[in-house]
Amino acid sequence: MSAPGKTEPTEIIARARTGDTQAWGDLYREFAPAIFRFCRRAMPTREDAEDATMEIFMKLRDKLIQYDQTRSFTAWLYKVAANHCWDMLRRRKARHEKDMDDVDDVPLECPEPNQLEKLIEERTSEEVRKALDSLGLRARMALVMRYYSDMSYDEIADALGVRRQFVGVVLLRARHELRQALGENSALAVGGTR
Amino acid sequence: MTEPDMNRDKNPNETHVDEMTLLLYVERQLDREAAQGVSLHTQTCTRCLTLLRALDRESRLLTRSMLEQDEPLPARLAEFHEKVKRNMQWIWGVVFGLAVLGVYALYTEYIVQWETRFEQAGFGSTSLLSLVVFQGAFWKGWQSMFSLFEVLAVMCMAGFGLFAFRRYLRRGSALAVLFASFGMLLAVATPASATEFRKGDNVNVKKGEVIKGDIFLTGEHVRIDGQVDGDVYAFAHQVDVSGHINGDLICFAQAVRVNGVVDGNVRAGANNVTLTGTVERNVMLWNETFILDASGKIGRSLTAGGETLTLDGKIGRDFLGFADSTTISGFIGGSVQERGKSLSIVSGAEIDGKTAFKGQKEPNVAPDAKLGSPLQFTKIEQRREERSGGYYLWQVIWGAAYVLFGLVLFSLMPKFSAEAAANTENLGASAGLGILVGAGFPIGALLACITVVGLFVGISAFFLWYASLYFAQIIVGAAVGQWIMGRTTEFWPEIGRMIVGLLLLRVVMMVPYVGMWIKLVVVIWGVGAISLALYRRLQPAMAPNIPPAPMAPLGGPLPSNTTVGGI
Repeated sequence: MSAPGKTEPTEIIARARTGDTQAWGDLYREFAPAIFRFCRRAMPTREDAEDATMEIFMKLRDKLIQYDQTRSFTAWLYKVAANHCWDMLRRRKARHEKDMDDVDDVPLECPEPNQLEKLIEERTSEEVRKALDSLGLRARMALVMRYYSDMSYDEIADALGVRRQFVGVVLLRARHELRQALGENSALAVGGTR
Repeated sequence: MTEPDMNRDKNPNETHVDEMTLLLYVERQLDREAAQGVSLHTQTCTRCLTLLRALDRESRLLTRSMLEQDEPLPARLAEFHEKVKRNMQWIWGVVFGLAVLGVYALYTEYIVQWETRFEQAGFGSTSLLSLVVFQGAFWKGWQSMFSLFEVLAVMCMAGFGLFAFRRYLRRGSALAVLFASFGMLLAVATPASATEFRKGDNVNVKKGEVIKGDIFLTGEHVRIDGQVDGDVYAFAHQVDVSGHINGDLICFAQAVRVNGVVDGNVRAGANNVTLTGTVERNVMLWNETFILDASGKIGRSLTAGGETLTLDGKIGRDFLGFADSTTISGFIGGSVQERGKSLSIVSGAEIDGKTAFKGQKEPNVAPDAKLGSPLQFTKIEQRREERSGGYYLWQVIWGAAYVLFGLVLFSLMPKFSAEAAANTENLGASAGLGILVGAGFPIGALLACITVVGLFVGISAFFLWYASLYFAQIIVGAAVGQWIMGRTTEFWPEIGRMIVGLLLLRVVMMVPYVGMWIKLVVVIWGVGAISLALYRRLQPAMAPNIPPAPMAPLGGPLPSNTTVGGI
């Protein structure tokens, strides 16, 4: 998978599980770019993303034997990556202003549909990525897990340590936060109260 | 069919599906019935349809933005490397070096000097460990000293500790420290067997009674008229020993009188101690007044600190004293080393060894007092301490030790340390709490030691307080560093600021006269900030990860029959 959805190299995975270093190298080269991109989206700095990528693969090598071959390797890999990144962020949360444990309970204002449409239309992918950097850690992580690695609500709930019923709320709040970041200093600011 | 969650818009006749439900619809997280409800509604409601499309487009924009390959894989990651953090390995070398320096400083500055003094006092052991634990005797019988109250107190303390540090217990390092601490405690507290425990208002070992083994006594008035074939641990208002103790006597009391015989050592922390009987081995005291009566006898050495020492009796070996006023009229078989304000060697006194006195005024020596060698007097003048190169070298070593301590604390408790540093800005609360905790905690610890709460709790609390005095300086250093270099939330820059601030404080504290006052202010301030952080931590908080209430969109909560995620 350099991108999600690509056919999984089951043979390489099977060989890597037996300790074949060549296969492990192939596996790394196959998946490292995607995992780096995942980390790049989830972690605050490029250096963090690089470190996280290496650490995930070091962890992966130890854990590979635990991988259930009947299930999707990609999904499992993203789960490992998400858990690792979230763990790193959680360890650092003291040094971040946005608390990751407390969830804002301020009611969200429903956006004006046409304004939202306009906002989405006018924003580029690059702008979205920049706006993503300004989000709270939980919001950012939730969006990355959902829209980059296509993780299910169950997996997101598991990784973030929240109740499954609450994942939708986290995602919606994250979107509001993102819209606010995108529409900052603009009349297009939509909804979001954070 | 399940009704999707509807909101009434400004127009009361118009109802709309709320954004949350539409998002769940887009995400395919609604059950079939709810989804059909949304689908039907959006066929007739332009507003909801527009919002639904906008949300869907937003999802696609998000996915596209994230999947775009905007950055190539860094060259560093081109191949898998075993040691990802090799570039940071040097830091552990530095940490180890600082640790060695700190331990060396501690050993040479304090332990060696105390070792010498203990040896002079007759403890005579060369084992550092045994010196630290007072040759083991101090700890004997700990296990059996635990009464129900003490166990409860310890459990409360443990519970408090677990609660306070619950967020860190998931970390291996925190657990390792916890278990290592327990291990050390278990290692130093040697269990003893057959120890008897007595407590009450008046506790008495009656005349003719023989206790086989150690005994622990606590009460208002403790009397030992009988015989104890073991050590005695006494905690009372008044302790009278007129019987015979074959082991050591260890006591904390307002007043202690020893009329009988103690075959071992006497160690006491008391207000007044009077010895008219015999102690075969050593006596070590910290008290206000000590009187060695003319009939009193100490077989070996006396080490005493206090206000007034009167030595009329016989001391077999050396005397080491730290007292405002000391009067010697008895016999001392060894040497005398005294430091204090005044020393009087009166008529009838006999000292076989050398006599040395360090004080502010010359000692009074009666002409007929017998001294083994001429008295050595060193006048202590109230002058500024001379500062040689060694002094500055030690300041550097201590600075390094502080930095190491700060590194460890910030690594183990990053959030707590950051909170404590931030609390320094709350000047009023920090100063008030600092004075309260700084002065109150040791008093509480002392009370715990001498009451039923127990030595373990008291000594642990005391050590905690003592460590907090150092931690306080680090916290204030971190705050000062942030004021100078600006705020940061990253770990290493935060450490860098802590080091800068701390070293600056250390330099300022070296300024003669003013430095010690600055240090006092820093310690009070820091202790207050730590206490404030701890207090805030212990306030009831919302359970993590659980929202206090679900999001409240215009239309209220989702209907009860909406299954979030059940497609």
